Amino acid sequence: MVIAVVVLKIAKIVALWTLLVVIALFFGIPLVWLVLSAFDPNASPEFRIPSTISLRNFMLLVEPVSGVPPLMWIVNSAIISTLVATIVTITSILAAYVLTRYSFRGQSAMLTAFIVFRLIPPLILALPIMILYRSWGMMDTIHGLVLAMSALILPFTMMIAESFLRSIPVTYEEAAMIDGCTRLGSFLKITLPLAAPGIATIWLLSFVTSWSQFVLPLMIIKTPSLMPASVGLQFFFGEYGRVEYGKLSAFSILYSLPVLIVFLAVQKYLKRGIAGLVSR
Amino acid sequence: MPSIERLKDMLLEGAGARLLILPALALIGVFVVFPVIWNVYISMTNYALTGPRARAYEFIGLENYVRILRDPSFYNTLRVSFMFTLFSAIIGQAFLGLGLALMLRAKEPEGVLGKITRALKITASILVFIAWIIPEVVAGYAWSAITSKGGLISMLLGINDDIYVRYPFETIVVANIWRGTAFSMILFTAALEGIPQYIYEAAEIDGAGPWYRFRHIILPLISQAILVDFILITIWTYGVFTMPFMIVGPSGQGGVAQIWTLYVYYDAINVYEVSYAATAANIMFLIVLAMIIVYLRAIGYLKKW
Repeated sequence: MVIAVVVLKIAKIVALWTLLVVIALFFGIPLVWLVLSAFDPNASPEFRIPSTISLRNFMLLVEPVSGVPPLMWIVNSAIISTLVATIVTITSILAAYVLTRYSFRGQSAMLTAFIVFRLIPPLILALPIMILYRSWGMMDTIHGLVLAMSALILPFTMMIAESFLRSIPVTYEEAAMIDGCTRLGSFLKITLPLAAPGIATIWLLSFVTSWSQFVLPLMIIKTPSLMPASVGLQFFFGEYGRVEYGKLSAFSILYSLPVLIVFLAVQKYLKRGIAGLVSR
Repeated sequence: MPSIERLKDMLLEGAGARLLILPALALIGVFVVFPVIWNVYISMTNYALTGPRARAYEFIGLENYVRILRDPSFYNTLRVSFMFTLFSAIIGQAFLGLGLALMLRAKEPEGVLGKITRALKITASILVFIAWIIPEVVAGYAWSAITSKGGLISMLLGINDDIYVRYPFETIVVANIWRGTAFSMILFTAALEGIPQYIYEAAEIDGAGPWYRFRHIILPLISQAILVDFILITIWTYGVFTMPFMIVGPSGQGGVAQIWTLYVYYDAINVYEVSYAATAANIMFLIVLAMIIVYLRAIGYLKKW
């Protein structure tokens, strides 16, 4: 009897382990292949441990592909994402301040509209934006891309900003104003410092969202030297289906690093944010 | 004469302060709302990407809509999109995500066995999470590589060919499950953590078995999370573009895996029929909008209707 219980317990543990290992393999294999091939000077789709491990693929990224050194696409991405994140953070904090500190007609309708906007598939917007940009002369411009990208991300960051500012009690600001602080002063000296972690989170999340965005630059940017990394990457796919796997994997890893670092920094807020989607 | 401070205050106190919302509204208005409206207008013209119809296009009313509703390739993309969403979101991501969340909660025995269990749990969940956050183009590239001829998947299946050519639909379904499961996992983990421990203990004392506990205690308590998860991943999966684009290309390997986002891109960019693409996009947008309204009702907005 006792033996049967022990056997059953062990069988349960082994079953759980097996399932976890299978899941880890399924999710891990494409990632492991990416890392292995980046350090393999003779990389191919084949899954193998490189016979010689080298940084050659990374070094080669300074040499031009289609006339542009791939590292420049990463620099472009950094410039574009910094601009987008800054625009989006400022506008969404200001808007969220108004939404949480004042009341006006149509306020809840506006919040509802923002939820709708953030769920619109990007392609639905990218197509007409491309058409409009062709007549506005904004095709192939960085400012055109930055503005469209900011608008795409804004509904998402607005909701985060709104929930952060709502969690800061208005009474703090009122107390400061009773003590002679102006409204602007209370915003700058009380609200902003208290919202600082939220502001940082918003900036970082909008940075990585813009960093990874693909559809908008695909439709708007045509000149290789202006491209962000997400679309510059296509040039590693040569003609006739020839792919430079090693360099592309090395590039992919460099391109993914900032995203991994940012999510490490904001993971604390992530689960709370996702739980917040379940109910009002 | 009011001081500068006083002026600033008036600005922030009165109607003026509300103007701070304007930059956000302007951005959304010009680059979200207006494009959506413009798309409706373009769908009623014969606008093309190049040639004379790019410069001088004409209003043609509902002609594109009449044409698309008789177009077999449009019904093909509707069917492929539906199947893709069903298999990839509901059957794949939601169930795998719930299974993972339950596994991550499983009891860890004392000692070494518990430590191994814990290490496996952490490894699995970190890998699931990384698959979700890396840039979509990187995920698309990795999947197109491992499903190429000579890649691991073709080796495992014993097929000496590009898997994404032979089985394009299955490839994008599996790749998208890989990509999106983390969201459901995190959502369900949060929902499960919301269930107080004493409820499990009480059920266990009453002699409830694992299946009974799952069916009659856990499931009812996370039903709201399940509903929201289903709706959100359906909306997101339905709108997916980048990974399928990277793996099977805009034609979706001759239509077999051409979900509607690829269809719209293909019509606009590959065959230059921008107004026709806009027509397809508008019809598909109505479907998303219906799903978004379901979501708003599910989370307690729009109670009235």
